[in-house]
Amino acid sequence: MGKPEVKGTVTSLSSMFPPEEVQKAAKMVEEKLSEKQNEMNQLKEFIADNTSLVNLVQKLPDELHHDIMVPFGKAAFFPGGLIHTNEFLVLLGESYYADRTAKQTVEILKRRGKSLMSKVDALKAEMQDLKAEASFFDSTTSEVAEDLVEIKEYEEDNSTERVFQSGPAELESPTLAEADNKMDSKLGASKDDEYARLMSRLDELEKEELAAEDDGENDEDEDEDANATETDGDENELTEAAFQWKKDEGYSSRDHGQRYSECTGLTAEPVTQGEMSHGRIIHQDSKMLNPSINASVPSEKKPVQTSKSEFDSSKAFTGSIVEHTENLEKKIPGQNTTSSESSGSKPSKPVSRFKMQRK
Amino acid sequence: MSSSSTALRELQRDLENKANDLSKLQKDIAKNHQVRKKYTIQLGENELVLKELDLLNEDANVYKLIGPVLVKQDLAEANANVRKRIEYISAELKRLDGSLQDLEEKQHSKREAILKVQQRIQSHQAGKAKA
Repeated sequence: MGKPEVKGTVTSLSSMFPPEEVQKAAKMVEEKLSEKQNEMNQLKEFIADNTSLVNLVQKLPDELHHDIMVPFGKAAFFPGGLIHTNEFLVLLGESYYADRTAKQTVEILKRRGKSLMSKVDALKAEMQDLKAEASFFDSTTSEVAEDLVEIKEYEEDNSTERVFQSGPAELESPTLAEADNKMDSKLGASKDDEYARLMSRLDELEKEELAAEDDGENDEDEDEDANATETDGDENELTEAAFQWKKDEGYSSRDHGQRYSECTGLTAEPVTQGEMSHGRIIHQDSKMLNPSINASVPSEKKPVQTSKSEFDSSKAFTGSIVEHTENLEKKIPGQNTTSSESSGSKPSKPVSRFKMQRK
Repeated sequence: MSSSSTALRELQRDLENKANDLSKLQKDIAKNHQVRKKYTIQLGENELVLKELDLLNEDANVYKLIGPVLVKQDLAEANANVRKRIEYISAELKRLDGSLQDLEEKQHSKREAILKVQQRIQSHQAGKAKA
């Protein structure tokens, strides 16, 4: 067992999600939402008109002849009557008309009403998505205002060789071996209730993620390794493995990258589904991964997403991923000094990452 | 020194030109989107009309509105016309899709070129600051 070295970086959320940009993105989502609301109102008006028309058409053939005041020009009426009360000239669309009876007209109108309803349903679904996005942005702004800090920690075991190449399967085994070593050395020291609680939460999270992963990939080795890491249950190594595994995914831009970029409106959705129970900080991590993936897979053209990639180009986050996975050996000595200073105030086990806030 | 500043000015002019081209491209893309939307709506409407026409009896009267005149039309003729229009609209949509792809590619390459010019400007300025 080599000496475990703890390295880490501490970044404030406000530097990763600048508040003005988050607000801009939130405003854009709100605008879109109001547009959809207007469309929805219009469609509802159409539906109301349609139903009143159906009623009228059904009532007209009750009489052979109706006495009415006929409009004449803009401001006049004259007394007249409606005859042939069962014959309707119905607009079929694109300037085509057809002669129909009242019953047939009602059928046509009902079909139109059905298509309108389906449009309304589609709009409702879109609005739901937009609302979810908006709520995410709101939560981000509040978190940024609270000055939450993201703490990344990397543990390295000198005895096991780290191979940070493509393929999560390869990544799993070194971290798994490391997890074994760590567990032996650390388990004696860690006995907090909170620790156990967090561990169980992370187990759930791992299972969810891996369930989602196994749907996308048919890699059995990964599955076994993943199960093994779950049962090992050392919190930090798990989160670290999850984090690095996810980073690797994003970096190598495999199916996962495509899957993330495929989900158009909500970039947060697929990742957050896998991590709902996880701490906020990791939530932010995964959210950040998506912009980086989007930047590397430039297939989307929506404004919200371009604003996200704008944060990217000005942030060093994507740069830090690259550095870490490519030059791990070189970076470690540099990081070691800073993190050892910052970890001086922390207990020996880096448990309290969820509690740590910059004052 | 002066040569580097003129080079800098040239680079900046280049950047401006490229930025103008990019904005033109973006306007073209927006127009393309609009026309596409219009055509898609028309296509939907025509398909509805076709469905209704299919439901009509053989002897039902079909009229077409040409300007202020409502002209009686044959059901078969109306069917044929609507079908032809649907085909035309789909062809137009496909053409627009192709041109949209082209425009997007051009936009992408312009963006990259702009980035490169920006980087060169930055390196120039860094060099000037040092010197």
